[in-house]
Parts: sequence; structure tokens; C-alpha cells
Amino acid sequence: MKLRYSSALAVTAMIAVACGTGGASPTPRASATAGASATPGVTAAPSGGPSITAVKIGVDLPLSGASVANGQPTLQGIELAVKEWNDAAMGHAYTVELNVQDDAVNGVYNPEQGASNANTLVADDEVVGMVGPFNSSVARAIIPVTNEFGLAQCSPANTAVDLTKEGSEVYRPAKPDQRNYFRVATPDDVQGPAGAQYTYNDLGKRSVLVIDDTTAFGVGVADSYSTEFEALGGTIVDRVSNDYAVDTSFSADLTAAGDAFDVVFFGGTQTLGGGQLRRDMGAAGLLNIPLVGPDGITDLGKGGDEGTFITLAGVENSDNVFGTIAGANALELDIAADFNAAYEAEYGVTPGAYSALAHACATVLLQAIDANIGTAADLAALREAVRASIIGQDTLWSTVLGELSFDANGDSSQKWISFYRTDPSLNGGAGGWVFDKQQDFSVTE
Amino acid sequence: MIDDALIATLTQQFFNALAIGGIYALIALGYTMVYGIIELINFAHGEIFMVGAFFGLTFLTAIGFTGAIANPITFLVVLLAAFAVVMPLLGLVGIGIERFAYRPLRNAPRLAPLITAIGVSFILQNIVYIWHGPSPVQFPQILSPQVRFSILGASVSYISVLIVAVTAVLLVALQLFIGRSRLGRAMRSTAQDRDAAQLMGVNINTTIALTFFIGSALAGAAGIVYGLYFGTIAFNMGFIGGLKAFTAAVLGGIGNTTGAVLGGFMIGFIEVLSAQLGLAIWAHAIVFGVLVIVLVFRPAGLLGQPIGERA
Repeated sequence: MKLRYSSALAVTAMIAVACGTGGASPTPRASATAGASATPGVTAAPSGGPSITAVKIGVDLPLSGASVANGQPTLQGIELAVKEWNDAAMGHAYTVELNVQDDAVNGVYNPEQGASNANTLVADDEVVGMVGPFNSSVARAIIPVTNEFGLAQCSPANTAVDLTKEGSEVYRPAKPDQRNYFRVATPDDVQGPAGAQYTYNDLGKRSVLVIDDTTAFGVGVADSYSTEFEALGGTIVDRVSNDYAVDTSFSADLTAAGDAFDVVFFGGTQTLGGGQLRRDMGAAGLLNIPLVGPDGITDLGKGGDEGTFITLAGVENSDNVFGTIAGANALELDIAADFNAAYEAEYGVTPGAYSALAHACATVLLQAIDANIGTAADLAALREAVRASIIGQDTLWSTVLGELSFDANGDSSQKWISFYRTDPSLNGGAGGWVFDKQQDFSVTE
Repeated sequence: MIDDALIATLTQQFFNALAIGGIYALIALGYTMVYGIIELINFAHGEIFMVGAFFGLTFLTAIGFTGAIANPITFLVVLLAAFAVVMPLLGLVGIGIERFAYRPLRNAPRLAPLITAIGVSFILQNIVYIWHGPSPVQFPQILSPQVRFSILGASVSYISVLIVAVTAVLLVALQLFIGRSRLGRAMRSTAQDRDAAQLMGVNINTTIALTFFIGSALAGAAGIVYGLYFGTIAFNMGFIGGLKAFTAAVLGGIGNTTGAVLGGFMIGFIEVLSAQLGLAIWAHAIVFGVLVIVLVFRPAGLLGQPIGERA
């Protein structure tokens, strides 16, 4: 009886919640305005006297504690884009401001805080677009909110595949068919094949031992790596799955694979065995064999710092290791040279890894706002028009990364992967990573 | 068809198995001794092993040996010094845990000390978490893994041999102590019948404390050789290491010291064999499968006696 009562209560509560959220969601506006979008990058003359004179772009990033290192340079990329846009010389008849929210709690990014911030942003009528978040797990909590309220959201840094591709509809429970999330970062599934091409073409290796850490990320990247490596003509000598939480030794796996491999690929992260694997390769006298891995091991951290790959592998084992990063290294990108100079002039430091990508995100939103602000009846209509004009459209947006568009999933037409390798002599012998090259994998060779 | 390459591979795997088996064996000794004497599964024992590794790290860093030591004499002196400092310290930690977490509950229902054991293990984990942070940290590689010798086509690091030597020496010393010394006899009598031993003038509290001291000191030795072999240690490594060692103790017959060592090496060999056969992901399923089979046919474990000498 007690059980029945409580379950009836739960059902009632669920209905109440469902009604509540249903009632609160704004009526979707007709997206007819989207068709009228002007060519981006070309400023439309403020003819017709727009009724909207001020809009905001929402920002959610981790901005306090240890996360500052990630969030602050990213935020500055956005601030620079908005500052440039508000410059009188641009001739815009409206001003753009930022509504900045911090998703770090005690210095660590926090999905619940992200969701709370998203609610703050969608409740601000003037917010017609949003940049962020930094971390994929935060994005999973934010997208359901921004989706329900039809807010266009661009992440400069999220690489998790499920955010845009198959299965992403779970993050859009309110409006599964109305995508609002897009990103300029390269999804993880490009990293595996990119690593395979690098191994085959640049390192010239033909026989690989593939090891994964049994996580969704690690297995996924190891699978896509293997497929591409075989397609290129290479051989997968062996495939090992090792759960580092229960087995901390790779020695037996390395011995079992014999001496038939000339390269090792590790799908996973440095703290789940990546570092130990290289250490065990050292113990087995296999340091002449290169180790290749995804951004799970390419942390770009120096030796001695807490938890970095080189710390865990030992600097004595940290030569001959190669890693990919899912995204462009704007510092080395010719087209972004102007941005890098402008950023340095503004802030006195070189841009962070995601500053240019954040700038690109903000620029896309600004151009979409500009194209629709003249025709939108009110802020709600503008928010919907911005959302409808980006994803799955053929529009080419002009950004500091060059021209890019977003496919029906919200993924960028640019698929940059940058390649790094370890150098034990860096940082006064503590070891570090050096940039090797980068490539846009959307351009088929 | 047995060719040279296969022999080399198997030799290599043999030494891989000896190394990890030896570490499990050293931890398993502590489990089995404590169980033998007070029939308590000391779930905090895995954490004591972890703390031992961190004590070793602290000691070696404090005396300034963070890199490889080329001179074998110096190496042996430093290693023995590490054992001589860390093992008694860990023994004292073990005595402290027994005094405050287990002794007050000695006559309580069996479940109560089990819960305090879990509590102690969380406390130890959290202390080390605060002390050294969540990330794995580097253990001083005072014996370079590059120092190796060749045997049957396999290139073997001296660390593997060192682990086996340490395990063997400590096991023999332990057997002599339990079998020959006065205190060892007190331990055996306490294990057989606590009340009768007390009537015969054996100080039960001292004897049980001594058991914890020895068991924890052995875990400290295991912590040091683990650090030397794997090169990195982490605050949470005690749980899985302890679980495997506990399995080894049960496999060998809990309460039996030789059985614990046998069980430790068996698990080492099963794990390595699984990897050799390409079944690495199944290693633990196989370990526990073997455990189930052994327990079905020999409920007391391989060398366990239903009753009698246990310590």
C-alpha cells in the first residue's frame, strides 16, 4: 500500500514537471527570416530602422581555480571578437555585450553548474546566442537547456563524438529535430584515422600493436585508428584491451606480441595506462619503438607536473612519443596570424590553445545576428532566426580560421588535427611536447 | 613446435609472472596471518601496502636517491635502508590500526570489525590523497629497468629477480620466526585457542599486535618493490592490489603462510598466461574462475587445513 502510494505520487510529480516545462517553453517562431540571411561578413546597412538596439552573447566556461588556464584565454578570444564588432568603424546600429557565466566549482568544471548557468542565460531575453562550454561533460548538461529554449550554442573545445552525431538526440529531449548546438572543435573520431595516416605516412611504420584502455573514448579511437591503418595497407599485429584500474602491468602484453610490431598505438588517456605503457616499454627495452596516441595522452604538459604523460611515463622514456590534438593550433596557422597579433596586442600574451576557436565561434554568431537583426520582430524572433540560420546551412562563415560552414549535425567543415611529439630535452631536461604539423582532414588528399 | 622465439617469449613471461606474483604474495602474507590469528579479514591491508609504497617514496626522496644507482653496493645499502626504515614504520601503523580499530571490537559480532576495516581503508586512502593528490606519482627508480641480463633469449630486468629474492627471504624468515621462536610459538598457540593460550601465560594483546606488526611490515616491503617495478604509485592502488592478494590468500588456503605465497605466484602466472594467450581482458575472470574451482574441490584452499596450525 505504501509502495503504491509513493509511486502514484511520483507519477503525479512527473506529470507536473512535464506540464511545467511544456508550458514554459516558448512557441517556436517561424524560421522564415532565416531564408533572408544576407551574405555573412558583409555588413548589412541598418536600413528600415531595426527595433533591436542591444543584444548579448552568453558565455559559459570554467573561469576559476585551476580551470582558469583553460577558460580565461578562451573567454578573451570571445571578448576580442565582440570588441572588434562593437568598434564604431564597423558601423553596427546595435551593441553587443557578453553575459559571462563560470561553470567551475572549487576550481573544477561542473556539469550541474553548467546547466544552472544555461538556465540563467536562456532567461536573459537579450541573449541570442551562446559560446561554450569548454568540457564535453558540461555540454551534455547544457544542451538540453539551450535546446529547449532554442538558443544557438557554439563550443570552441568540445570533442566528444556523441554531442553532434549518432545518439545526440538524447541531449535534445525537448526538441529533438531542432538542432541548436554546433562546434568548431574537431570531433574525436577524426583523431584515430589521422593518427593512422601519420603513423603510416610520416613515421613509415607498417606493423602496429593497438592497445586500448576499455573506455568509450579509448576503444572508439583505437577502432577508427585500426580501420584506417589497415585500409592504408598496414598490419594490426595484435589488439589488447587493458583496464588499468585492475591491471597496471603491460609487460606481459608487450611480451606476448613478440617483436613483430614496429609501432604501438594507445587508445586512451595517460592516467589510464598511457604513461605506464611507455614506462613498461622502457622496462622491456622497447624505447626505439614509437608510441602514438590521441589527445588522451597529448596533454602538452611538461615532465614533473602532476599527472602529465611525461611525469607518468618518466622523462627517460619520453622520447619517440607522438600524439594528436583534435583541433587547429592557431599559433601555427598562417591564416590566423592577424588574430594572433591582435590578441597579443590586446592582452599582452600569446593566445591560448582555444582562443582562436572561441573567436571563430563568436564571429559566426555575430554574423548570424547581423544577418537577421534587421528583419526580426523582437528578441525572441532573433534568437530563433540565429539558431535556424547556422546548422545544416551551406552558408560559409568568415572567421579567423578561414571560411567554414556547419553540417546537419553541427560539425564544422574544417577538421583540423595537430600533431605533436615529445622532446625530453625541453624545460631544462624535464621534458615537454613540441608542435610538429597540422592538417585539415576535411580536405581529402 | 617449440622454436627459440617461443622459448624466449615464455622465459620473458615467466619472469613477468614472478615479479607480479611476488608482490601479490608479500601482500597476501599479511592477510593470511591476521586471519589465522583472529579470523578477521583485514580489508585495510591493501591500503597499508599502498601507504608502504608512499613511505618508501618519502624515504628515498628524503635521503636524496631519486635516480638510478649504478653502484651495486650503494644500491643494496640504500634498498636495505629503505626496508629497514619503512617496514618497522608500517608495522607501527599496523599496530595502531589494530589497537584503535579492531581491539575494542574483538568480542563484538564478526561484522563490526569488518566495517571498521573498511573505514580504516578509506581513512588511509584519503590521507594519502590529501598528502600526494589524486594523480599517480613517480617512484624513485633506484634500480634502472635498463639493467638487465639475458637468459634463453629473453632480456630480464634485475627488478624481477629482486622481487623474487625479497619474497623468498622474507618468507623463509617468517617461517623460521613462527616455527622456531618463542613469540612465534605464542602466535601459533593464540591462533589455535586464544583462551587456552591466555591460560598458559601468553599475552594475547601483545601477540596479536605482533601479528599485525609483521603483516604490515611485509606489506611495506611489497609497497617498495611495487614502486620499483611499476615506477608509479597512486593513492587508490591499494584496493585492487589488496583484492588480488586476498584472493591469493584464499586460493592458497587462508591462514597458511606458504599457501599465501603459492597463491600469489599462481595469480601472477594466471594473469600473465592470459595475456600471452591474448585474453588479457579475461585475466580476472580466469583468476576467479580458478578460485571457484579450487574452493569447490578444496574448500579450505590449496594448502589450508580445516583446523590446526594456521599462523
